Amino acid sequence: MFGKYKPMWGEKTQLKSSYDAVIIGGGLHGLATAYYLAKDHGITDVAIIEKNYIGFGGAGRNTAIVRANQRTQYNVPLYKEALDLWPILTKELDYNLMFNNCGNLNLMHSEAAMKAARMTIATAQFHGVESHLIDAKEAKELVPALNISEDITYPIHGAMFHPPGGIVRHDAVVWGLARGASKFGVEIHQQTEATAVNTRNGKIVSIETNRGTINTNKLLISAGGYSAALIYGMVGIKLPISVLTIQAMVTQPLKPLLDHVVSSGAYHCYANQTLKGEIATGAHMDQWPNYTTQTTAHYIKHQGEALSEFMPCLRGLRFMRIWAGLADMTPDMAPILDGNDHIEGFYFNCGWGYFGFKSCSASGKYMAEFMAKGQAPDMIKPFNLRRYEQHKLMGETAELVTYTPNN
Amino acid sequence: MSLTITCPICGKRNGYEFRFGGEDKGPRPDEDSLTPQRWCEYVHLNECVAGVQKEWWVHKDGCGSWFTIHRDTVMNVEVAKPEADR
Ligand SMILES: Cc1cc2nc3c(=O)[nH]c(=O)nc-3n(C[C@H](O)[C@H](O)[C@H](O)COP(=O)(O)OP(=O)(O)OC[C@H]3O[C@@H](n4cnc5c(N)ncnc54)[C@H](O)[C@@H]3O)c2cc1C
Ligand SMILES: [Zn+2]
Repeated sequence: MFGKYKPMWGEKTQLKSSYDAVIIGGGLHGLATAYYLAKDHGITDVAIIEKNYIGFGGAGRNTAIVRANQRTQYNVPLYKEALDLWPILTKELDYNLMFNNCGNLNLMHSEAAMKAARMTIATAQFHGVESHLIDAKEAKELVPALNISEDITYPIHGAMFHPPGGIVRHDAVVWGLARGASKFGVEIHQQTEATAVNTRNGKIVSIETNRGTINTNKLLISAGGYSAALIYGMVGIKLPISVLTIQAMVTQPLKPLLDHVVSSGAYHCYANQTLKGEIATGAHMDQWPNYTTQTTAHYIKHQGEALSEFMPCLRGLRFMRIWAGLADMTPDMAPILDGNDHIEGFYFNCGWGYFGFKSCSASGKYMAEFMAKGQAPDMIKPFNLRRYEQHKLMGETAELVTYTPNN
Repeated sequence: MSLTITCPICGKRNGYEFRFGGEDKGPRPDEDSLTPQRWCEYVHLNECVAGVQKEWWVHKDGCGSWFTIHRDTVMNVEVAKPEADR
């Protein structure tokens, strides 16, 4: 028990002065991109530069929900592929990612919401993603803990049922990808902060870190909630991003009672039971940008009230832990995957908001292809930054998410 | 989360009485010769400063006025106007 332990990914290596590709951010997307750069494209001379430790960001703080029932034509196929990749990655990485495809139940609390769900379901079905509309009674059959009585604040009219989604163990994804990438020779440098990016004649030439300069002509910034500030600060590209703090919490462990991910927009609450038995539930955001990871008593109360209304059997439970992380929100709730445009050799991947866990497998795969070939693969072409000036916003949300003077 | 904001009319109040109104981007751009890029910048693009920024708030559950403050986004506290802006 007190024996020597071996690091799971590679030995500690010296930081070299040059790499074929450098990735800033040892989160989900950085690790996944490095893995696929090595595996699919033979680019193994790669350094991941991580300021803290891998999984420090959203990667280690998310509530691990995966699903593919997004809203619009470009997003559904990307998220579908991401979902399909979990069992494949589990085998490839030879690492148990604990994919529990228990299915997601998205509660609807009005006839208008049911109508909107029909549209989303039709889009999903068109793209080959399983999704159904069910009524309140059917929802109760799937999740007996639900309260389908009329006299709660938001009575349940029905639900969007998405059987293939569920939960993947988020830490396992971080560790599995790190191990997978380093087996190919990718170097992961923790406790290393990127501080500046140097360009010459519109091309990436090197980056500065607290451990020295690294030369490279392929750079990816994939630093989650920190990306927007880094990208503006280092290369002057402004992004349509607002960085908010998002919170989640878990209750004390219980015997199995909930075998679906249940979510409700009206109650602003989602919950699932982890394999350890805790009810993991989220997610509140205070509506102004900040880089703290503070939690709030206000939110604990809100969550207690919401859960005990639509799943009253949870009344009296104790919350064990509450935490927060950053969510980089875009106005159309779709990410920004871009590169080799504004600056040659410079790539960026951000704006995932609270959808960056479920998507990291596919996004890593396509960002790697993008970086290897210098051209955006069709799957992610529509996610470029220029869509905002071309008024081609994606409509992942019915109403733009803005934190501007206009609302 | 703990935050207080100083309304020019009502004084220092609980932050939850207010609504954030975006980074201060200066005056609305002129319609003449307005390009999609400039409009996009004004409407969508942010600097996302990790540090002190000038930003808009509205006293939603109070007097309703719009005003700017300086706030440190890392500490999440309102701060005095920096020297450079005075
Ligand atoms: C409470 C919460 C719940 C969530 N729930 C879900 C969910 O259920 N499903 C879902 O799909 N998504 C969820 N998300 C969102 C998801 O976690 C993020 O979108 C995702 O982690 C983003 O991945 P990333 O790789 O881009 O960034 P991160 O995982 O945040 O990693 C970024 C890394 O960059 C590093 N970094 C920052 N600055 C520097 C620098 N200067 N130099 C070097 N390194 C740097 C950081 O230390 C960090 O490790 C949730 C997020 C939170 C906070
Ligand atoms: Zn006021």
